[in-house]
Amino acid sequence: MDFEVTYTEEQQRFRSEVRAWLEANVPAAVQRTPTSPEDNYQRYLELRALGRKLGGKGWLYPTAPAKYGGGGLDVDHAIILEEEVDRFDLSLPPYYDSGGRLGSASILVWGTEEQRQAFLPPIYRGEVRTWQLLTEPGAGSDLAGVRMTTAVRDGEDYVIKGQKIFVGSDNGADRIWLIVCTAPNGRRHENLSWFMIDANLPGISMQPMELMGTGGEGGTDSGVKQTVFFDDVRVPAFALVGGENKGWTVATTHLELEHGGGGRIGRNRVWDRLLRYCQETKRDGVPLSQQPDVRDSLADIYIKTEITRLFGLRNFYLTYARKPKSYEGPQLSYYRKTAGLWMTGAILEAVGPAALTTDPTWGSSAGFLETQQRNGIVSVHPGGTTDIQRVQMARRIGIGRSTREKAGTVHGAEA
Amino acid sequence: MDLALTESQEMLRSTARSFMEREAPVDVIVGLQKVESSLAPDLWKKAAQLGWLGIVVPTEYGGSGDQLSDAAVLYEEIGRGPLPGPFFSSGVLGALTVLEGATEEQRRRILPRVASGERVLTVAITEPNTSWGPVGVTLAPQGRNGSYVLNGTKLFVADATSATDLVVAVRTGDGPTDVSLLHVDARARGVTARRLPGFVSWQCEVTFDNVEVPATALLGGAQRGWAALDRALERALPLLCAYIVGGCQAVYEKSVAYAQSRVQFGVPIGRFQRVQDHVIRLVNHLDSARWATWEALWKLDTGRPAAASVHMAKAVASEAYLEACNAAHEVHAGMGVLVEYGLAAHTQMSRTLFHYLGDPRWHKRRMADALEW
Repeated sequence: MDFEVTYTEEQQRFRSEVRAWLEANVPAAVQRTPTSPEDNYQRYLELRALGRKLGGKGWLYPTAPAKYGGGGLDVDHAIILEEEVDRFDLSLPPYYDSGGRLGSASILVWGTEEQRQAFLPPIYRGEVRTWQLLTEPGAGSDLAGVRMTTAVRDGEDYVIKGQKIFVGSDNGADRIWLIVCTAPNGRRHENLSWFMIDANLPGISMQPMELMGTGGEGGTDSGVKQTVFFDDVRVPAFALVGGENKGWTVATTHLELEHGGGGRIGRNRVWDRLLRYCQETKRDGVPLSQQPDVRDSLADIYIKTEITRLFGLRNFYLTYARKPKSYEGPQLSYYRKTAGLWMTGAILEAVGPAALTTDPTWGSSAGFLETQQRNGIVSVHPGGTTDIQRVQMARRIGIGRSTREKAGTVHGAEA
Repeated sequence: MDLALTESQEMLRSTARSFMEREAPVDVIVGLQKVESSLAPDLWKKAAQLGWLGIVVPTEYGGSGDQLSDAAVLYEEIGRGPLPGPFFSSGVLGALTVLEGATEEQRRRILPRVASGERVLTVAITEPNTSWGPVGVTLAPQGRNGSYVLNGTKLFVADATSATDLVVAVRTGDGPTDVSLLHVDARARGVTARRLPGFVSWQCEVTFDNVEVPATALLGGAQRGWAALDRALERALPLLCAYIVGGCQAVYEKSVAYAQSRVQFGVPIGRFQRVQDHVIRLVNHLDSARWATWEALWKLDTGRPAAASVHMAKAVASEAYLEACNAAHEVHAGMGVLVEYGLAAHTQMSRTLFHYLGDPRWHKRRMADALEW
């Protein structure tokens, strides 16, 4: 086994090129915690501008096919990019783009050639930011129960009506990737369809939800969510991806990726900052990191982050080496989420009440510990609750149902 | 990056698995449980012929000098039994301690016979204080006419009842790591090995009653013993972890098969989410142990600093095996506690290895030190 990519001279040159480019192009202080709503929006614009620049070089979606505007790079180059971007505490894309990541992967597998040509280049080049819309008031964990948002064929168009919740981040979106009911009386799993549509069409309106979490454009997670209303929104039939009432098939790809099937490489940013905090903060004259009880807690926390990293690395490898997967995707998601939730208590115990305040004098720097206290809880449900992940694992292990379930296909995403 | 086994590792795995299925099926494993010595002579000879006992011994000393990750493939298969016997005690920890601690002449004298299975080593470290650190080594030999004389007790010595040779850590100075290693004939007068009774797998008490060993029994130099043992342990522990991973894997497979086939309330019990939760807890522990172990092996085989990863692997694997067995018992209910079913052998082994060579808390603390927090 080899847990690390061995880089050729050409790849080392690529790394230097990427590093130099990022140093020149990542705006100063883009990782800042925004100080006001205006500053939050300003920061978002900076991230989008960076996204467009990355997209222009094919580095926003590095492994996406070049003929649709992606980077067309192999996995080794993609890892270099991920690692270098990670040095700036950023991800690819550097803003919340769930519909771009998961929608583009689904379209690559299930869209027609015309749809790929139409929908993929703006995503890959960073010209649009796309949100995914799945959850409804009556359909959360039971995604197949989507009923409230419907699309009805009308000539060359579909007319969409209904409501989605827990959507996106803040600062708005350009595109929407959503699943709706196209056969209200149809059979379960044979009554849903996916659409990739413009987010600014007449009849679409949004209203922010006030959540316990914080943070807006952190990459894959977001603490700000919207309710999105559809009031007779007319969209072209061309926007329907994968065929009418074939939405559940398309969802297998989407959900496999959302459930961690794609894997992840990169550091745990909370851990690095937590250790530094404990080394720099004293209690009774002794740094927290030198107190035996805190050290024991830190060891337990570190091990959870390491196992999460290893599961992410394994899934990354399985995906890109095109090896068969079974329960590994939902396992990563389950482990990451339960570890994060457990960590809220462990960090609170290790650090004490300073973990709970954003006060610049008495709290941690930029309140990162307070953010973890909230987001460790909030992160348990997006992309499927921990219970749903366990249901998935059990089916794929071969005990949940009479036949063993296979992992959804994610290939196409990196072809 | 490549997280798959190599072709030759796949071959080794398949050879080892068919050997285990043929020579050490469940009834053999269960039958061995009550025997005083963990070593089954026929099986030992056959395993020796396959080169299993010299797998980490360099070729110049009669072994095959394989990489640790190759040996790990073998130890996963042995652990699936769990096949007892001093495979790890002699072929890994014993051999590596001699390799790291002994003089060239001693290596040439001892290692080829360990690799051939003719001699069986075990390393005696801890004492009634059950510490796995150097300070816990208090057994101090007296000098007499240029020889060492040993009086005292070593405890939780793995497989001592089947060993022909002991490597005994002894205190030879006042500094915390002033420890030396003595090579002692396990059959010498005054040496008594006794398997400890109870829910523990072939951990033994070894007593020394006026045991006289010659000065030439000192492995390497005086006071160098702990450093040698530390180096040996860093390379040996991941193979013990691999044995544990194999144990977890077997326990997982048993549990999945049982959840699929056991019918209650008219359906296989795996259909119940409460039962599924046990299996999922189990597989999460299994995979945690597996990947922590394999990353440590990779670091060692590629010459990277590995101390922190090794300590983490032992902490994670020890916990994983114990928890995996707990989860398996919840799945199996009454069937799991029937000795003939074979789960109980794993459960007892998981408890034994939890503490052996350092429990999770001990290794987590060493990990924190190695990471220089």
